[in-house]
Amino acid sequence: MKTIGLLFNGVWSHYTFATAPKYRDIIKLIYVHDFDKDAIKGLKALIIPFQSNQKAIVQHKTTIYNFLAEGHKVFVEGDSTMDWIDAKWEDRPVNNYWWVKDPKNPPISETDFSHPIYNGLTPRHSCWHTHGSYTSMPSSAKAIQKKPDGEIISWETNQYGGTLFATTLDPIVEHGVQQITHLDNYVDKLIYWLSGDKVSGNFEVPKANYGIAVL
Amino acid sequence: MIRAAVISSGVEGIESYFLSNAKVNYEVVEVTKNFNPDFSDIDLLIVPNGSDHIAMSKIKDKIRKFLDQGKSLFCFDGWFTDWIPGNQWVMSNEKKTIDIRYNIKTDKYNLFDGVDLNELIFYHGISGWWACGYIENAKNADVILEDTWHRPIIVLDENTTNGTILLTASAPLGDKEAIPVDNEASCSALSKLYHNILDLILKKKEHENHRTLI
Repeated sequence: MKTIGLLFNGVWSHYTFATAPKYRDIIKLIYVHDFDKDAIKGLKALIIPFQSNQKAIVQHKTTIYNFLAEGHKVFVEGDSTMDWIDAKWEDRPVNNYWWVKDPKNPPISETDFSHPIYNGLTPRHSCWHTHGSYTSMPSSAKAIQKKPDGEIISWETNQYGGTLFATTLDPIVEHGVQQITHLDNYVDKLIYWLSGDKVSGNFEVPKANYGIAVL
Repeated sequence: MIRAAVISSGVEGIESYFLSNAKVNYEVVEVTKNFNPDFSDIDLLIVPNGSDHIAMSKIKDKIRKFLDQGKSLFCFDGWFTDWIPGNQWVMSNEKKTIDIRYNIKTDKYNLFDGVDLNELIFYHGISGWWACGYIENAKNADVILEDTWHRPIIVLDENTTNGTILLTASAPLGDKEAIPVDNEASCSALSKLYHNILDLILKKKEHENHRTLI
């Protein structure tokens, strides 16, 4: 049964992630231009990934906060300014080569490993690269991950009813891109935290998934 | 001057990816719920990295008609839907990125003039950073660039339609901001390649205008 909605911007990494056999029975692709309250009815959680259409999403701010008010979870990959969220995101250079140049100094220096997503993950599995920083977060939010300079990478709050979790990591998109091979660790923990669904095995996308027609 | 439309799927920063200059004027076309753009005054359609291929597939007949009018299409993204005539992009994690190298195969227009191929292969010593997957090219299309396993990475197709199709395997091209690197050499190599491709389109347009005049 599909338990998690993924707000889909027609981007290829969203598609490969959600249609991979490993996740396809759990993830419901919701095309952003068809998004409404009926699209997320019955779901436990919503994922808003990197490379989303923020202009389209802001029109559905009430739908997202109503979903949270019902006690559900929303996971946001922050890579841009989001006018629908009470936090300030700022761009920063992406360091995706630290593990070659300076492996003892990853972009994230502090992680709350008591959080269910991170509990049991190694530091390497909880940090690959970041896309900017949060320089402010909602009034009751708690920082979950920080950079060496103190800037916030991941935060969580329950002040809207359910749980809103935001991060400048991009586990969904990078897993869909299939070039960081350890992401099963993070994403499988994330899926379990969002919905209680346990997944295992490797991430693969059948070639037949490409070249589809849209009616 | 080339009149170009850049498709935007609402991803922040797209306006800085392609900067209008003496040879090209860009217009950003936003994908909306009822996406039905008018390309009648456009010579070149650009689909950058991070585009909405559900929206593109919904207008695939319009794009085919656009190309059959002799116009041009650049796609620098992974098109998992079937909207590009004759050519299909496929993602694959079968090969290791550490083994990825590129070779120039058929470059009859010298698009790689002044481009250091190594800057496309390595970024801070890491290979496989630029493109994703490969292209299953149309029968009569030119494979300009291929990878270690002879899989097409850049394809130029002047035969499937009456127009010109230039495709990369989800490898970003454009002005500096379109290229997600902090390495000046890689930036300039990719910008140079992009402008060489633009120059080809400009020459074709000027040739067409000249032919129409006489």
